[in-house]
Amino acid sequence: MPANRTQGATGNAPSIDLTPSITEFVGARAAFYVGRFKLLLAGQNRWRVNWAALIFGPLWAAARGIWAFFWLFAILELVAWVQVGRGIWGDLGADKLAEAARLQAKSDQLMAEAARGDTNAELLVESAGNLARAAENARAASEAGEASTTTYLLVGLLLLGLFKLMEGLWADRVYERQYTRWRVDKRVPSGFNLYRLAGGCALLLLVFSLTLYRFTVSQPDQRIVSVPVPSTYHTHTANLIEDYLDRTARAGAGLFNSIAGGTEAVLNAIEAVFVETSWPVIVIFFLLAAWRLAGGRVAIFTGAALAYMGILGLWEKSMLTLALVSSAAVFCVLMGIPLGVWCARSSRVYAVVRPVLDMMQTMPAFVYLIPIIAFFGTGKVPGILATIAFSMPPVIRLTALGLAQVPKDVVEAARAFGATQWQLMTGVELPLAAPTIMTGVNQTILMCLSMVVIASLIGARGLGQEVLVALQFVAKGQGILAGLAILCCAMVLDRIVQGRFRRGDGA
Amino acid sequence: MSDIPIKLEGVWKIFGTRAEEAMAAVRSEGLSKNEVLARFGAVIGIADVSFDVHWGEIFCIMGLSGSGKSTLIRHINRLIEPTAGRVEVLGRDVTRLSEPELRAMRSQKIGMVFQHMALLPHRSVRDNVAYPLEIRGAPKGRRWEISQHVLSLVGLDGFEDRFPDEISGGMQQRVGLARALASDPDVLLMDEPFSALDPLIRRQLQDQFKALSEQLHKTTLFITHDLDEAIRLGTRIAIMKDGRIVQIGTPVDIVTNPADDYVRDFVRNISRLKLVFAHAIMEPLTSDSAEKFAQSPRVSQDSDLDHLVDVAITTPHPLVITNAEGKDIGVVSKDRLLRGIQGGK
Repeated sequence: MPANRTQGATGNAPSIDLTPSITEFVGARAAFYVGRFKLLLAGQNRWRVNWAALIFGPLWAAARGIWAFFWLFAILELVAWVQVGRGIWGDLGADKLAEAARLQAKSDQLMAEAARGDTNAELLVESAGNLARAAENARAASEAGEASTTTYLLVGLLLLGLFKLMEGLWADRVYERQYTRWRVDKRVPSGFNLYRLAGGCALLLLVFSLTLYRFTVSQPDQRIVSVPVPSTYHTHTANLIEDYLDRTARAGAGLFNSIAGGTEAVLNAIEAVFVETSWPVIVIFFLLAAWRLAGGRVAIFTGAALAYMGILGLWEKSMLTLALVSSAAVFCVLMGIPLGVWCARSSRVYAVVRPVLDMMQTMPAFVYLIPIIAFFGTGKVPGILATIAFSMPPVIRLTALGLAQVPKDVVEAARAFGATQWQLMTGVELPLAAPTIMTGVNQTILMCLSMVVIASLIGARGLGQEVLVALQFVAKGQGILAGLAILCCAMVLDRIVQGRFRRGDGA
Repeated sequence: MSDIPIKLEGVWKIFGTRAEEAMAAVRSEGLSKNEVLARFGAVIGIADVSFDVHWGEIFCIMGLSGSGKSTLIRHINRLIEPTAGRVEVLGRDVTRLSEPELRAMRSQKIGMVFQHMALLPHRSVRDNVAYPLEIRGAPKGRRWEISQHVLSLVGLDGFEDRFPDEISGGMQQRVGLARALASDPDVLLMDEPFSALDPLIRRQLQDQFKALSEQLHKTTLFITHDLDEAIRLGTRIAIMKDGRIVQIGTPVDIVTNPADDYVRDFVRNISRLKLVFAHAIMEPLTSDSAEKFAQSPRVSQDSDLDHLVDVAITTPHPLVITNAEGKDIGVVSKDRLLRGIQGGK
């Protein structure tokens, strides 16, 4: 029954005349496209060839402003034309032929020297023979190359025909879709436009001529193969940076030394706690922490992870790694949270800090090592500094985000009851932002761990060093054991920290 | 103590970076709202608002969304600074208070209730209520005693140790009210406190608030977009439109004497049964017609229309209205009564 009613409502819908709007959209050759579009709209999906599109391809698309069609078929046709060009003009054997001639000349020269009665004539003859054989191989390759030109030509022509056919058959449908988009958005290109056509021609001419030249000529002009600049640009710039870094390092030696000294003191203290405390104490501490903060299952997992490290002899290295990661994380949190609060307070500060954070997160981790080495040399302190620099962005970002997400009305209420800025922040904003901030802390800890192997390149010790050594000596078993130990550290820390804030949320 | 707890004089609020310029232009040239927006890119939030609120009254500000009522109420405790004008609370000009003085006034003299409760989700009900006291540095024992007491005032005994998300919306707003009462302020600011609640709970809270307000004798500024609510609660009502106050009056004034078409439109659907009284619709009794109404029931001139209807359905005769001395002074026919209910067409 409902089906009948629907028919009643839509069955006698009056037909609409789209001719004026299609004419306005199409411009030149409107009558043709009105016919074609109407067939498509009527659901007659037979493929019909659009000869203008078939013959002119990308140029037709440029004139009509269908740029996706233009680029797609410009690139496809280019591929086909390059094959055709190589088939017709290509000197495919030329490289090999030249090589053969060079090798032959060398071989002849050696033979001549041997004939002159050199002391090690035997050796000379032998290598002359080798060279002659190589020359022979090159000649054979060259001949094979010559023979394949016909294949290139055939494949090229076949591809070209295929692409042309696709252009011709597809054009109407693509153009009709453009018409539908144009109906709702008049910025979509419409009509037949000579400027667009000229632009398309210029683009095609430039791209096609350069590409065909590059691929078909055997010795193309070097200026189009590589960017024509002197290599001194690179060396000069590199030297400038190097000088600058050296000067900064010398000028700031006091500052850098005190940073390094402070960091080292903290790191040593934490390392002593982890490494010199006897292992049963550490195990008990971790198990209790996991159980109290994150629950029984995490405690069992923690026990298993610690057992793995202990039984496979990775205990001390694991503790070194944990010490490194914990001290890096502590520094990140101590500096990152206040910085995040500052960013949330002042949009101007955030506008400055945000691009820096973006850069810090996008920069490949290895690059951090370069300025660190310049200013701090190598060893475990530079290792931890690189780790800090790499891992700090999430905690800053998520602190700022968490504070920004505190509901405005709650903040207003606190102000209405006379809260000071400090009371507002400690009593309302930070507690409400805590889950987000803890996510940031968690991410920071995991990023610290991911930096462990890289930091060992400049002398940080622990599991990272173990992996690095394994890489150098292709000691696969040792490497995988150490890698799994890093994974264990990461998962234990992650579970404990996350469990902490999930529980803190509820109770 | 001053005579008038809240006094606004010529308060303007213009939003935008060029607010001062726009204010000067409005003063000198009398620009309209749209001209100010076009010339300075500034929006007029509050335009020349003046009123006094008396001790112990519930002063309702009624207006549709965008009329500036929420902006206005935030001037009282200076959550928003006025562009021009004076805001006096308890005899002190709040715009001239220093930061510590302002905080002291907010935490001791002014309590505020918000439309969306704005409770602190990480604190228990008790700690939410105690928050203003905590800000003042009251010791924990005192905070607990007071919060226990105000929670019992709003009928929330036994919910002290719950979290806000564990109780219903109506209860949450009662916590909001308790929080506003905790520091025993002289002035209560209520920003559409019951708007987000469903009608039944809203009605219940309105009654509770009215009773509480009479009991505690607080001076209240009450924002609402619901004229019914304003009439139920308000001692006086101010109607706002486009940042201006269109009319100030008692509920009866507003309903029987709307100042302009805008107010008349609002009042149209308000039931007049409890607001209009016999003397307002009666025909004066001429001495010679007294005989005709011997059979008619006698009703006091201070009876409302609701009561007149109750009496009228018991008798075929018109009603005779008597004054305080019991003397016949007027008559209300059934036709007149019906028209009176309609609003005197």
